[in-house]
Amino acid sequence: MGALLAISRGIDAVTRFVGVQVRWLILVAVIVSAANAIIRKTFDTSSNAWLELQWLLFGAVFMLAAAYTLQKNAHVRIDVISSRISKTARDVIDLLGHIFMLAPITLILIWLSAPYFVDSFMEGENSNNAGGLPVWPAKFLVFAGFLLLFFQMISEIIKRSAVLMGIIADPAAETVHGHSPSDTAPSGGHNE
Amino acid sequence: MIDLIAHNLAPIMFLALIAFLLLGYPVAFALAANGLFFFFIAVELSPYSNEISLSWPLLQTLPGRVLDVMRNDTLLAIPFFTFMGIILEKSGMAEDLLDTVGQLFGPIRGGLAYAVILVGALLAATTGVVAASVIAMGLISLPIMLRYGYDRPLATGVIAASGTLAQIIPPSLVLIVLADQLGRSVGDMYSGALIPGLILTALYCAYVLVISILQPQKVPALPLAARTLRGSAFPLLVLMVAALAIAVACYLLLLPRIENGAAIWAATIAVVLAYLFAFSDKKFSLGYLSDLAQRVVIVLVPPLALIFLVLGTIFLGVATPTEGGAMGAAGALAMAIARRRLSFGLLSEALEATTRLSCFVLFILIGSRIFSLTFYGINGHVWVEELFLGIPGGAWGFLIAVNVLVFILGCFIDFFEIAFIVVPLLAPVAAKLGIDLVWFGVILGVNLQTSFLTPPFGFALFYMRSVAPVKAYIDKVTGGKIAGIETTQIYKGAVHFIILQAIMIAVIVMFPGLSITDEGPQVDPSTIDIEILGPDLGGGGTDGGTDSGVPPPPSFD
Repeated sequence: MGALLAISRGIDAVTRFVGVQVRWLILVAVIVSAANAIIRKTFDTSSNAWLELQWLLFGAVFMLAAAYTLQKNAHVRIDVISSRISKTARDVIDLLGHIFMLAPITLILIWLSAPYFVDSFMEGENSNNAGGLPVWPAKFLVFAGFLLLFFQMISEIIKRSAVLMGIIADPAAETVHGHSPSDTAPSGGHNE
Repeated sequence: MIDLIAHNLAPIMFLALIAFLLLGYPVAFALAANGLFFFFIAVELSPYSNEISLSWPLLQTLPGRVLDVMRNDTLLAIPFFTFMGIILEKSGMAEDLLDTVGQLFGPIRGGLAYAVILVGALLAATTGVVAASVIAMGLISLPIMLRYGYDRPLATGVIAASGTLAQIIPPSLVLIVLADQLGRSVGDMYSGALIPGLILTALYCAYVLVISILQPQKVPALPLAARTLRGSAFPLLVLMVAALAIAVACYLLLLPRIENGAAIWAATIAVVLAYLFAFSDKKFSLGYLSDLAQRVVIVLVPPLALIFLVLGTIFLGVATPTEGGAMGAAGALAMAIARRRLSFGLLSEALEATTRLSCFVLFILIGSRIFSLTFYGINGHVWVEELFLGIPGGAWGFLIAVNVLVFILGCFIDFFEIAFIVVPLLAPVAAKLGIDLVWFGVILGVNLQTSFLTPPFGFALFYMRSVAPVKAYIDKVTGGKIAGIETTQIYKGAVHFIILQAIMIAVIVMFPGLSITDEGPQVDPSTIDIEILGPDLGGGGTDGGTDSGVPPPPSFD
């Protein structure tokens, strides 16, 4: 188990690094989009490459941060029932969910998106828009996002098992289970 | 047996989805997993039922479906508006607004409540983040309201409800999502929601007015000692009249020269002049304005300018909502820098919160796209359609049923889940019944807004609870002991506002003209969308680039 936990820590460190750094791309996207808008209005011209860059940047953010979001237990859940059952039951649901829900999804998407990206890269596929960007980076993001998510899932399975076996304390204990969508502030939870 | 399953696969899949979701596993993955499992089952069962049109090669479209979500220009507005709201919130705009507007209205009965409602609406027009508004107002206004003896349920209710205005007043995130799911432009949805949002704000104010007449002890005026900004509001009135005069003059001058938006340009000029006047009055101590008037102008104008920058340009058709969002985010950054409130830590925090929100929202959408591949492939939409078309009363019966359904669902699950799972199923039915989808979206928007207020799972109530004092405390100013707030008081306060919301929904249903914009001279923002026309990156996706979230039933051979 010690070795597995070490692997888990390694995965966590990688997804954390990616998930934390990728946030700056939002700032870049804001600047690029604002500049695009101003240039379009003032000079009445626009470049497809720059327009495509906007969504590519945003795509990079949410695809690559998904694994870190999982690590931080910040994907929304419906907690109508889970808030009323024991912590152990919740842990078991999480473990089974990772194995029977997340694993098939990530594996299938990795399996499908690998050739999807490689073919595009080999062909040097270009956007249909005049002067657009190559397509493979976007396709690569689909692949990379699900790959990271898969590894994060492995790490979560290790951690959740260890928690259930009582080897480690719950690393996600401080995050409230099932919190608000539009929440950006500390989630309050019920006091009663 | 297999026949029975094969022919009822859609209802079975839907019930299974409910079970999957109730497990409490992340919604995005539960949706996707449900779609995937039933894809396999459906392909296996396809020989038994001609309603199933799924086959293995269709699985190949999944990466394309993910890519479609990525390439969706509309959704790009989500991180922009979120980022803008968080930057404004963290740079202390809410605090400044509440302080000043509270001082302005404080002297009248119910004044603090009006201030909360107005600031709530102002914050809503800039941020669209309910949590931020409720928490800021709960921290700043609630202690003052308690200190001077406001009725507790009323105080908490008005704060929670005003915070939820962020859901319905543009640029709200839920309207972006609804526009995407209903296949209408965000600009249309924004113009559709604007008037109802303002009416709702007025409705809240009217409620406070009625209370202040019938039960004045519930909403006392601030005593003189509590007013920190000296001076009367009279110079402010003069300034407003002057600004109005300038605006009218500019309008008349501009009208022959500018086709579009003369009024908005005129208003801008007037507001900028008023701001410059107040600013120089303060800078050079000219003494024309009282402290109060000066402060009101200086605090109110920048957010108003930002609101104009964003909403004005969107409504004028100058900018797409995505561009408006980017400009707003840049503007918020500029404002924070100008106020010397922007630090590296703040920026990083804001980006983190934005990333987190974007990530789970977009992944729910990805999950729902995987779900819909299967659900439409087994004619699930036909099943839903038959279900709802069976309701007596045609469009009216449908609207009533949908509102009741969404209201009940809203008591238990988040609006994003409703918007991504339920709305795409309802949209085709609504369209078939001849219901205008913008109108429909606005009705749903107000209904979803209500879900923030409904116990036991109303998020605005959670936020309220998290900032309201639980135990009795000693007030710093008066030295008196103030009892804590009970959760039942928060619930009780919410009920009145839920009733106001219900009235509002009824009003919109009865007067569709409030949200369906008639053929006016205004430019439809959708027509100036810069389309990045669809190269089919979708890997042969059945509903390629211009995805409305209401995918047509796949027509496979």
